[in-house]
Amino acid sequence: MIALLDQTAGWLQESLLLPLLYAVGLMEWEDVSFGWALFAVYGVIQVIVTFALCLPLERWRPVEFWPDSKAVAVDILYTMISRIGLLPLVTFVLFYKLQVILNGAIADQGWVPPTLERLIPGLLGQQVLTFCLYIIILDFADYWRHRLSHVFDWWYALHAVHHAQRQMTFWSDDRNHLLDDIIGFIWQTLIALLIGIPPMQFPLLILVLRFLESMSHANARLSFGWLGERLLVSPRFHRAHHGLTAAGQHSLNYGAILPWWDMLFRTADFSRTFVATGDPTAEEELATGSYLVQHTTALRRMLRELTSRRTA
Amino acid sequence: MLHTLYREALMRRLLPFLLLLLAAPPAYAGAVLVMNSGEASLSVIDMTTRQELKRIPVLREPHHNMLTPDRKELLVGDTVGNELLAFDPTTFELKRRIPIADPYQIGFSPDAKYFVVNGLARAQIDLYDPATFKLIKRFPLKSMPSHMAFAPDSSAVFITLQGTAKLAAIDLKTLSVRWIAETGPAPAGVLWNQGRLLVANMGGDDVWVIDPATGKTERKIRTGKGAHQLFPSPDGKRIYVNNRIDSTSVVLDATTLNQVTSYKLPGGPDDIEFAPDGHVWFTLRFVHKLAVLDPATGTFDTIAVGRSPHGIFLNAKATPK
Repeated sequence: MIALLDQTAGWLQESLLLPLLYAVGLMEWEDVSFGWALFAVYGVIQVIVTFALCLPLERWRPVEFWPDSKAVAVDILYTMISRIGLLPLVTFVLFYKLQVILNGAIADQGWVPPTLERLIPGLLGQQVLTFCLYIIILDFADYWRHRLSHVFDWWYALHAVHHAQRQMTFWSDDRNHLLDDIIGFIWQTLIALLIGIPPMQFPLLILVLRFLESMSHANARLSFGWLGERLLVSPRFHRAHHGLTAAGQHSLNYGAILPWWDMLFRTADFSRTFVATGDPTAEEELATGSYLVQHTTALRRMLRELTSRRTA
Repeated sequence: MLHTLYREALMRRLLPFLLLLLAAPPAYAGAVLVMNSGEASLSVIDMTTRQELKRIPVLREPHHNMLTPDRKELLVGDTVGNELLAFDPTTFELKRRIPIADPYQIGFSPDAKYFVVNGLARAQIDLYDPATFKLIKRFPLKSMPSHMAFAPDSSAVFITLQGTAKLAAIDLKTLSVRWIAETGPAPAGVLWNQGRLLVANMGGDDVWVIDPATGKTERKIRTGKGAHQLFPSPDGKRIYVNNRIDSTSVVLDATTLNQVTSYKLPGGPDDIEFAPDGHVWFTLRFVHKLAVLDPATGTFDTIAVGRSPHGIFLNAKATPK
């Protein structure tokens, strides 16, 4: 399967990408264009798998029925901006450049830049195992980023955009304020640099994480059973986090992929069934406003929180 | 009784052969080491059976290789891993690792005084002491220093700057930039040939002939779209130019620079090694294979290796362990 995807990426690079780079005079990037081709192939597969799984699930066993799904449309726009714009920009351009600067500077001092394989030599050559460990570490880091975004008022002002949605679907995963997304990407990038994730694997890792996160937001009456829910975050588990009574500072079930961190740090609640979602404390504009209105409303709220803290 | 005598006689005759068989080395008549830049590994290929014997894991992104001047070590540059891996060139055993920033193209000056490293991602050209691998001088030249060629008298190293369409001449006596000249778009391979420099323009379809003293272009020779790398044949009479977009290897006469022949090699031919039996081994970047070309007939076999194979090292006397 992986060999087939590699061949497809190679074909894409040779048949489409390189002729395009040649035509527009950007052939200096030909060496790294294999990474782009690979990302495009995996990205398309991720979109197909997400649709193929989540759409039928939402139609088959929906938790909620809505008279209209207008509020979902803006989530689709969020997804486009995040996955076509921000995600490749951060994972390819920013991460690659930062790693080149940082690791080169470390090597200049005669040291070997940090990698997981240096820390655990047995991992060298075990690419699948290492990939899984990267997922676990990134997910652990994301648990704390997410939890902290509920702790600080100014941060939650941004994160409330994500929680204000009352029509939660698999599109809602990317419904994040741009600033909140940027903080999240910086957070993950720093961890990725610290454990030396290869630049070609980082975008693929983010794709895998985003696929699983999309699924956990699905409007589907889906649970993985007693054991399954303790191994992987299910739509039921994550829905509890989006519940009306879980918004704000006293939330629960922060885990994105693995519920282990919630169990470890006592924020897990497996008892809640399929609850209604939304944030009753959030402005109505955050729930039903346009992309721009949601962004400006959240920014104003964040500034209010920051200034009120100063004057207090 | 007769049977026993017969058996003993037979054993006496066979014993030397049996002992020879037991003591014989593995049946490798040479091996090839391939740098799989897209999957952090090196493939070891048996030259006779053309089978992959094993994959050696490395940290991140191996691209090119170079023998040390005493030919005792084969250095492989892992760019993203920021290290050089020193292998035994006969057994392909890893002997040591040396931290070096962004070792993309690597090379020793002919007088073995300098070890030059092109840091493509970091836009730097580093000169190291080959004995200690201590940095002597860094030239932060924009941008994307790609390939290199040395003047045979070690007076200069010439480096293509892929990102800015330039060729830089660094004086190895004064350790200063002698000149920077214009090239075609995205220059890649550069080769010293009969007192002239040949530069392959990957963003174009030609090779430029440049005067190494002044940097002035004297001639342009069309080879094919995406002209990428140049390799002299072992007898010095031919130059192979690999074209990435056209997926061809065009052979030029080294003296006249006229085209002698060309081979279609689908899959993005990149680096080359010449085998003593006359075959030419190519890495094919996009299809993750090697091509073994018989230049007499133009036919070739392919061997599957890892993702995006780039550098290649062939040793007809290698016995990998």
